[in-house]
Amino acid sequence: MRVYAMRFALLSIGAWLSGALVEAWAQPATPIPAQMPPQAALPTQEDHPTAVLPEPSPRWIYVLEPVFPYLVASKMWILDGDDLSIKGMVNGGYLPNAVLSHDKSRFWIAETYWSRGSRGTRTDVVTAWDTKTLDPLGEVILPNGRFLVVPKKHNATLSHDGRYLFSFNMDPAFSLSVVDVNEMKYLGELDTQGCSLAFATGTNSVASICPDGRFVHLTFDASGKLTKTELSEPWFDSQNDPVFEHAAVHRPSKRAFFISYDGWVYPVTLDGMPKVGERWKLQGPGDEEWRPGGWQLAAFHAASNRLFVTMHKGGKWTHKQAGDEVWVFDVAAKKRVHRLPLDHHSPTIAVSQDEKPLLFALTETAILMSYDTTTWQKKAERSALGISPWLLYTFGE
Amino acid sequence: MTILDAFDRMMEHTARRIAQRSSRRGILARLGTALVGGAVLPLLPVDKTRAKLAHASEFAKTAQTTDPTKCNYWRHCASDGYLCSCCGGTVNVCPPGTYASPTSWIGTCINPDDGQAYLIAYQDCCGKDSCGMCFCLGTEGEMPSYRPELNNDIVWCFGAPSMVYHCSSQVLIGKA
Repeated sequence: MRVYAMRFALLSIGAWLSGALVEAWAQPATPIPAQMPPQAALPTQEDHPTAVLPEPSPRWIYVLEPVFPYLVASKMWILDGDDLSIKGMVNGGYLPNAVLSHDKSRFWIAETYWSRGSRGTRTDVVTAWDTKTLDPLGEVILPNGRFLVVPKKHNATLSHDGRYLFSFNMDPAFSLSVVDVNEMKYLGELDTQGCSLAFATGTNSVASICPDGRFVHLTFDASGKLTKTELSEPWFDSQNDPVFEHAAVHRPSKRAFFISYDGWVYPVTLDGMPKVGERWKLQGPGDEEWRPGGWQLAAFHAASNRLFVTMHKGGKWTHKQAGDEVWVFDVAAKKRVHRLPLDHHSPTIAVSQDEKPLLFALTETAILMSYDTTTWQKKAERSALGISPWLLYTFGE
Repeated sequence: MTILDAFDRMMEHTARRIAQRSSRRGILARLGTALVGGAVLPLLPVDKTRAKLAHASEFAKTAQTTDPTKCNYWRHCASDGYLCSCCGGTVNVCPPGTYASPTSWIGTCINPDDGQAYLIAYQDCCGKDSCGMCFCLGTEGEMPSYRPELNNDIVWCFGAPSMVYHCSSQVLIGKA
């Protein structure tokens, strides 16, 4: 520290001296030659302000990075989806989850810290961030902790009206912590009856998936007190063909698509008690070798009714293998409309919700790609995006 | 309520849910796959039929039995994370200064030398940040986290003095 301070002092003196010398030498100012255009002359002084972002574009991509080799030092990157330039970054805690607001004004990170980095007193917290300044706005302590797991998108979500944030907790009892993000206040825990994850179904209700293939549906009052617990019938075979945790969820249309290891699609309406529609299969004749797989393996573009899924060739238990292709389906016709071979195989995808959406694909080797889904041309690619970027989020999804 | 009591309750929840669709024998197998807490384990029967079904193993075809620092070591068929064998520990010994977790999920791997299926407890070593060496991901028999007793993404440090994940061990606990 002392060496550092001394170096800083020397640098400061050096800067003052060089400034003084420049001033001395500048006295007999050499006139700019007449043939040099005035704009060619560099300004001699500039400001050093901090950037402020405009309102987030639906084509920006938010990339949550748990930094696996250094889990206590996570971050979230924000990039322009068209050219994948960096707009900014925020730090996060241990195995974080991110939640983007409905009105684009903020996002929240549910995260865990220890007072001495990797040891000391544990604190679990939801931190609010301003989407323009990228400043922290405040925090709410989660007194009962949170689920520590390789980050999964649906471990945290927001109620349909944007007021309540749900953070899944297995510590190791199963519950959902409820935070009123308008008041920035912790309301309490909802017992999920041994079921996991969080899928908002209304302004004051949320569903989780149970180990036996049911939904549990929880309704609560303004104080956060559980008022009703309902169980659905089993709707998938959790023993032999479980659904991936990373369903494609589109909150504004209240639609979700759960995908099973074998490739069945279960359309679900998240409006009150979840309603499961008739299932259909991703693979058709001739596709027998192909399977869905990866991590955040599915995305839904509501306006065009398109479902995107990462697919690879592989047998049973290859459910975490990254996709070599993205298959695109019209969910109304239940038919594949496109196959997009990826330049780098990717376990994780997302789609922007604007009219001419961008498809994002993220590799396990920190490469992010952006594709134009109207032409299927790659628009941009960025390598070395941190060390282990993992989950993708867009506003409006 | 201690954390291990809470862990027991969690597994009871899971077992009760699964019970609605399984035979008793199947449930006990799943409970057995979840609890590796000292004296608890020997009391739990294991459904060998199920274990044998689960091990229709692609992994074993290319697995080896000599180098535990490689991802294709036979016990790593469902291991996820940094190998403790590369971090100052071994398959069943935690690196110095870390805590051996008393809880885990249990996978079934085939030893290619004898062709037998063995139960492997994927117990984490906890209390220091990620070791960062020898990352391996095995997924044989692995299920989503709403089946926590069969999921390898979870920080399996429940019951240890710290929930900070350091590395993954692969402890042999019996024949399947």
